[in-house]
Amino acid sequence: MTDALRFEWVRIRTLRSTYWLIGLAIVLSAAVALIIAIATRDDADALGAVTVGNILTGGGSFAIPFVPIFVAIIGVFSIGHEYRHGTIQPTLMAIPQRSRLLIAKILVVAATAVLAVALSIAVNYLIGLLFWGEAPSLTEDPLNQALPGYVVYTVLYAVLGFALALLFRSLPAALVILLVFPLIVEGLITGLSNIPALDWLVPVVKFLPFTAGGLLLAMEEPDFGPEAPDYDFLSRWTSGGIFALFAAIILAVGWWLFQKRDA
Amino acid sequence: MITSQGLRKRYGDKVAVDDLSFEVRPGVVTGFLGPNGAGKSTTMRLMLDLDHGRGETRFDGKRFRDIRDPMREIGAVLEAKAFHPTRKARNHLRMLAAANRIPTPRVDEVLDLVGLAEVKKKKPKGFSMGMAQRLGLAQAMLGDPKTLILDEPANGLDPHGIHWLRDVLKSLAGQGRTVFVSSHLLAEMALMADELVVIGRGRMIDYGSVDSFVRKFTQATVLVRTPSADTFAETLRREGADVESQPDGALMVAGAETSAIGELAHRDDVVLHELAPQSASLEQAFMSATGESEEFVAHDVAEVLSPSTTSPAATPDVRTGDDAPGGAA
Repeated sequence: MTDALRFEWVRIRTLRSTYWLIGLAIVLSAAVALIIAIATRDDADALGAVTVGNILTGGGSFAIPFVPIFVAIIGVFSIGHEYRHGTIQPTLMAIPQRSRLLIAKILVVAATAVLAVALSIAVNYLIGLLFWGEAPSLTEDPLNQALPGYVVYTVLYAVLGFALALLFRSLPAALVILLVFPLIVEGLITGLSNIPALDWLVPVVKFLPFTAGGLLLAMEEPDFGPEAPDYDFLSRWTSGGIFALFAAIILAVGWWLFQKRDA
Repeated sequence: MITSQGLRKRYGDKVAVDDLSFEVRPGVVTGFLGPNGAGKSTTMRLMLDLDHGRGETRFDGKRFRDIRDPMREIGAVLEAKAFHPTRKARNHLRMLAAANRIPTPRVDEVLDLVGLAEVKKKKPKGFSMGMAQRLGLAQAMLGDPKTLILDEPANGLDPHGIHWLRDVLKSLAGQGRTVFVSSHLLAEMALMADELVVIGRGRMIDYGSVDSFVRKFTQATVLVRTPSADTFAETLRREGADVESQPDGALMVAGAETSAIGELAHRDDVVLHELAPQSASLEQAFMSATGESEEFVAHDVAEVLSPSTTSPAATPDVRTGDDAPGGAA
């Protein structure tokens, strides 16, 4: 197992895209943090949980932050590159135990995700400090939950990217699902549930995997406007569980196919 | 030593590899020969557990999946350009070395060995086919393995490269390693291989030394030049030989030994200007051995064109009878 991990560690470090994806994620997240910090610097609640949370996560309460998306692409590349460039053959010549290879890939991708998100939080914290004047408290609810939630969310996104690429054995297919599903499909279903005749969709919304996953880093109850129906969202960690289950199912199918298919 | 038993692989109804069993001995270069689509790559993939199928392959008695640090036992390259285009050549090997506890200095050693030392810090994106093949060989040699399995390693090499590869493979075999190399090109096999496994349409055609393959699949012919060609041809035919008159007046005789022809000439007082056995080539042997088992048979152009273009109305279904290409048993 340690050999497979060593292999994956060299693999991810000798790829330029790893560096520019992490770099870009941190820079873009920091840019969002800077905009929010400047815009709220004179507000009375500049040290409020929502503002501080949005600065630290790079806009986590109103959008999918940059870090999970970019880290998910690293996850996609982890196995997608192997098929795109035919390196799966030399890789399996070196590590024929397919499950061992997958475990190593997941562990290294997850570790990279933790590293990237921790770095990004640290950078954004420093940017916040320039404007806050004093250190905000991160140990009170909801930040003491939302920040670990953000880390878990990022790791799940990365594993999901890996699982999709394992399932489809194709970079474009995995990337399209990863971006189109949360931004278009789930947005569409949520929007349609606003139409009274389609209100049977309302109870579905809280189970939409990406929507549920978003609750992991929520700083307050999600608000879709005064007209929106009550979606009756589950708790932060239950919703996170739905997102994790979604990723786990895709991973399980991809894993099974990887064992069964010709490499 | 590689021992393959009953390798079999099917894609739906189509049998790609049909019950192949063979041994590859150490100390010699064994060629794996067959026309395009004969199932060579699939066989190699089956041997290395990349494809799922029937049968079993053992490497010095061990199955591939049971070998710890497999690159130290088996060096295999099945695709010429199996590397990430922007990962430097040296890093590509460093990555694979890490998976099998191969010390990093060995990476530089094999890059030297294949003549890529100067480009080891370069991205293989710009590598020519020949350089890619060299990197592949470096990858195979990384773990200093006892067994080498190479799929079409000479593909894309220039004549110098092919000779270099031949020398490398011969010397590796000379060190007692087992070397199994595929090719669809005879010229390459004739240069490199001592032993052959020949397949066509997934089936074994022949298995043994290059010499015995040539002997088995070609008839020895003798070139005879004589002023009295016509009468001597008659004499030879009466003795049961096949005689073919060449345009320049020479006779090509099959089915008779050189000595027998000489004695006949002496008996009949025939003057001979030349009596020379023709050595049959591997190429001729290959054509006669695999002629019936080509995967995709190109029909004779004139034959295909003539019925439809010259007389469209006449017997449109004239070719349906032999649509099954080749018709190998």
